[in-house]
Amino acid sequence: MNWQLVLALALIARPAQLRAQNPPPNGTRLAGRVPAAALPAIDSLIAAAAAESLPTEPLVQKALEGSAKNIPADRLVNGVRRGLLQLRQARAIVSHAVPGQAPPEGHVAAVAAALARGLPGPVVERLITVAPDEPPGPALHAAADLVAHRFDPDSAADLLVEAHNKGLRGVRLLDVAVAADHELQRPGGRTPSEALAHVRAMLPNVPTPARRP
Amino acid sequence: MSPIDPRLQEALDGERDPGDLPLDLREAYTRVTVATQMLKAPPPVSVASRVMAEIRQGPPPVLDEGLARRLLHWWLGRPRAVTVRLRPVWTLALAAGLATVLFLQWPTGIQTPGVAQGIANFVGHFPGARSVEVVGSFNDWSRGVLHLNDDDGDGIWHGEAVLPAGPHEYMFVVDGERWVPDPLAGRYVDDGFGAGQQNSLVIVRPASAQP
Repeated sequence: MNWQLVLALALIARPAQLRAQNPPPNGTRLAGRVPAAALPAIDSLIAAAAAESLPTEPLVQKALEGSAKNIPADRLVNGVRRGLLQLRQARAIVSHAVPGQAPPEGHVAAVAAALARGLPGPVVERLITVAPDEPPGPALHAAADLVAHRFDPDSAADLLVEAHNKGLRGVRLLDVAVAADHELQRPGGRTPSEALAHVRAMLPNVPTPARRP
Repeated sequence: MSPIDPRLQEALDGERDPGDLPLDLREAYTRVTVATQMLKAPPPVSVASRVMAEIRQGPPPVLDEGLARRLLHWWLGRPRAVTVRLRPVWTLALAAGLATVLFLQWPTGIQTPGVAQGIANFVGHFPGARSVEVVGSFNDWSRGVLHLNDDDGDGIWHGEAVLPAGPHEYMFVVDGERWVPDPLAGRYVDDGFGAGQQNSLVIVRPASAQP
């Protein structure tokens, strides 16, 4: 291979690699996309999150989302502010559930997402306490799925804690929620408590749902 | 022009025996005689005549098939020194093209998911729609990145993308202006902007955990 080709590949590949490792700063990502009227307030909210060691990516995403949807500036800022409040609430829950250590950003973001889906704070805290060293996202989303399908939040948490105790981890916890929903939809009219009892009886062998074609 | 020796002239006229000539005149006699014979010979066949003769003879005999295959094999297998002369500007352009293919990801193409990635499928029923795209947190809510297709025109639009494993909020944008939640998502979350609009939520399983 001649030297010119090697040099060209190196010059082109290296910046691409650097770009992949280091996403552009938030200001760069928002400039030109967020309305000028909303940008100072949103920058301020994101700066506040950073100063409090909260994850900023959910707020950046919320600003980009609202801008893409042409949300008016005042509602856009309120949406980002609401996201910041959820992050603060999430950090308080994580700190309470796992005392004595700095709340991991991943935990805080996952809890904030669960709160946004309507999962009650005490249920969130209970699920984090069961497995404080594991990413809480799948368990929280499984619980939120169950609650969204009219299952009692505490009963849903009971089922997921039992599934965890029987060895199910990560996305397999989502399968527990899917199995409960299938039992609820089954012809013959199971009640939510009957559906949960049926799934509890099959643990840990809940079926893996087929991939959507 | 030097005058010819009378003895040589007599020999050329046949009036004298060439063997009686002195040695130098005998050599001159021989050269002149050969030149005369060459001039008397008929002219060689012209190139055009030879080509026409070849054509009239018909196609050359076909090579033996085995021999042809061996010749081809020999020709293909024989190492040759190849010298490629490229201008630097063409080399750089070629390198840029290669780098684009190797290092950049086509946004609309489907790739093989990595360890922490999975495949997300998107399907929507939008009869009569001119375009449907997916906009969400996985593409910074940018338009024009992930388009769905309806190749057979039955109104069912579909597409797939390799995404990081985990939750992603998204919406369909129909005909470039209408924001619609995915009716098949199964998970929804309030978008937080106060109008009660919901985003769809997909949780991408790592490829290693997909059935």
